[in-house]
Amino acid sequence: MGPISLIALTLAALLFSAGGILVGKLFNKGSKNLQKGEAYECGIPTKTSPWHQFNVGYYLFALLFLIFDVELVFLYPWAVVVKKVGVTALVEIMVFIFILFMGFLYAHKKGALKWM
Amino acid sequence: MGITQILFWILAITAIFSALMVVISKNPVYSVLWLIVTFFTISGHYILLNAQFLAVVNIIVYAGAIMVLFLFVIMLMNLNKETEPQKSKWLKLAGAVAGGCLLLVLVAGLRHTEKQMTEMVTGDIGLIQNLGKVLFKDYVVPFEISSILFLSAMVGAVVLGKKEPRIPVETEMRKVEETQQAINI
Amino acid sequence: MNALIFSAVSGVIMMFSSFLLNNKNSVRVLAHVLLLATIIANIFELRGISFFHIDTRGMLEFDRFALLFTLVANVCTFAFFLLSSRDLEKIGNHYSDYFSLLFFILAGIVVSSSFKSLLMLFLGIEILSIPLYILTGSDKRNLKSNEASLKYFLMGSFSTGLMLMGIALIYGATGTFQTGITVAEKVPVLLITGMMLLLFSMSFKVSAAPFHFWTPDVYDGAPTVVTSFMATVVKAAGFIAFMRLFAEEFGSIRPEWKLLVGIVAAVTLFIGNITAVFQQSVKRMLAYSSISQAGFMMLAIYSLSNDAKEGLILYAAAYSLATIGIFAVLVRMKDYTFEGFNGFAKQQPFLAGILVVFLLSLAGIPLTAGFLSKFYMLKATIDGGSLALAIFAVLMAAVSVYYYFRLIQSMYFKTGNATISGTTTGFKYTLAALAGITILLGIFPNLLTNWLYF
Repeated sequence: MGPISLIALTLAALLFSAGGILVGKLFNKGSKNLQKGEAYECGIPTKTSPWHQFNVGYYLFALLFLIFDVELVFLYPWAVVVKKVGVTALVEIMVFIFILFMGFLYAHKKGALKWM
Repeated sequence: MGITQILFWILAITAIFSALMVVISKNPVYSVLWLIVTFFTISGHYILLNAQFLAVVNIIVYAGAIMVLFLFVIMLMNLNKETEPQKSKWLKLAGAVAGGCLLLVLVAGLRHTEKQMTEMVTGDIGLIQNLGKVLFKDYVVPFEISSILFLSAMVGAVVLGKKEPRIPVETEMRKVEETQQAINI
Repeated sequence: MNALIFSAVSGVIMMFSSFLLNNKNSVRVLAHVLLLATIIANIFELRGISFFHIDTRGMLEFDRFALLFTLVANVCTFAFFLLSSRDLEKIGNHYSDYFSLLFFILAGIVVSSSFKSLLMLFLGIEILSIPLYILTGSDKRNLKSNEASLKYFLMGSFSTGLMLMGIALIYGATGTFQTGITVAEKVPVLLITGMMLLLFSMSFKVSAAPFHFWTPDVYDGAPTVVTSFMATVVKAAGFIAFMRLFAEEFGSIRPEWKLLVGIVAAVTLFIGNITAVFQQSVKRMLAYSSISQAGFMMLAIYSLSNDAKEGLILYAAAYSLATIGIFAVLVRMKDYTFEGFNGFAKQQPFLAGILVVFLLSLAGIPLTAGFLSKFYMLKATIDGGSLALAIFAVLMAAVSVYYYFRLIQSMYFKTGNATISGTTTGFKYTLAALAGITILLGIFPNLLTNWLYF
């Protein structure tokens, strides 16, 4: 299993997806009407533009999620080396998690995790 | 040309092309989608550098979480074609000239750079074991200090993003008037 | 290390203070006490007693220069707390959080003034800037504050990007993040390119021309209390990091950048002073004055001598104290224009007298700390071999006298009804103490600079 197989697989995937579209185009009867352009062709007709303003609350959640996501990323390398490095690694990660736990507690207390 | 080099060129060209498309696209959502392509190509570069962990993290954190944030911002500001401010041609020209100058100077400067850069001892520093060892032995202090950075970002998110209790209309009106006055000055 | 841990922990405590204390006064008192503890811990470390023994693997070095600046920054922040902490209350609903952000900024200041590794420089600058972006936009219902915050954030992250690129190039050239590199005869091009990028991004952070365009808008749009902090303590911290970076990392390739830094200093002096002359609002004038003072501080980086080091510390203290004092009065004024100060001396003779001391110090009139710090800078520049630059700086300082005296003129020689509210006796005494320190440092600068050696 060298890199050749990887490239072959990538090419195969590209060919397969492009081929699907191509075949669809070939056998397309060409019926054109307005409903074809809708997001849900056979659902309820859409009322307004899908572009509308989101609430800032989503953003707050996403941002908090991101911070803990990054924290989690640091845990993977820690988990791999914790045996080798020993107790110091345990202490280090505990301090790190504790500080971020403070942040979580803060967000919770502030009510930032409540919806609206 | 070995297989790695072919892969490198494909990835590099895709990366530059998609990065350009991020800037050129008129529709902000398309820009974000092109940015995702850019992140994937950069992950490809990481794999070529034998840093699989970083490649995966790049996809999870950047293409996953940060892209969602970008989309939220775009939706929050409700950007679409109609609201996009029309910048003047001259401004665009000035931007292109300034950016081009920077590119020119950097290329001209780095053209004569030394052929071989400082090489690190081995090529497997990006592997997760080595990364972990370096992170938890040599770079402990920056690692812990970065948690303060996270904390301040978190406080900021709450301070700026949290919904405020409604204030009386009169106070609000007064604030708006003050702003108006300040702008007039 | 003391100051770093104390201020970080204080930040965390302040985060939770609003849940534990339901009274705004006790939150404020707690902040003062925590800052005082930080100052005392820092003095202990300056006397050689460190409470924590953490192996930083050579990434942070708490030498006397760093410790003394940390002390100056902390004391200036304390003065800021004493004078302006009540005004923080008026910004918005998150009173205690503003304090915690300020403490995080202080932690960032410690890191960025004692770094020994480019990685720490980056972390320090980031910890310093991110809370500032937030504080700038903390007046959420004010459009100008929002605009300032967004502008600051976008420009700031762009310059941070340049800084990272520069660090990456330097790493490519030298293979280490550690400062204090030695180069062979031929300087690698990569190193020079990286150095240039770092020069640009640091100039941006300290708002030296031609990277100053964000400064007036951001300083003007931010809540006045926040402007007071960011134009003083944070800017001085930026200069300390700047100086440390160029003295330790690029000290050995000085001929490559000396001319460039000289040009940046001259341009900053010119643009800052000339534009300040035309301002109508005192707040905006102070923003431009901060640019022009940045030009003087750039001279320290140009000359990099011992005098420059002492001078920079003295400059940081003199400039910060005077500007914090002026801003503390400005926040309480109804009208921020020069006309708003008309007849101020008639109503508040005591406060007007103190303001005059601060303004004289900023203008560099003898017997004030501002004069001596400017003197140190000029001496270092002349010793550094550039008489022309020193003469130009003196000329520009003469221009600066115009707009500082314009404020004195409207206070004393014009009639009007300046309105100020909320001046308590404690406020007046604190201001008087600051003015006293300004004059004291102007006569005995050794009180401060001796700490560098003993």
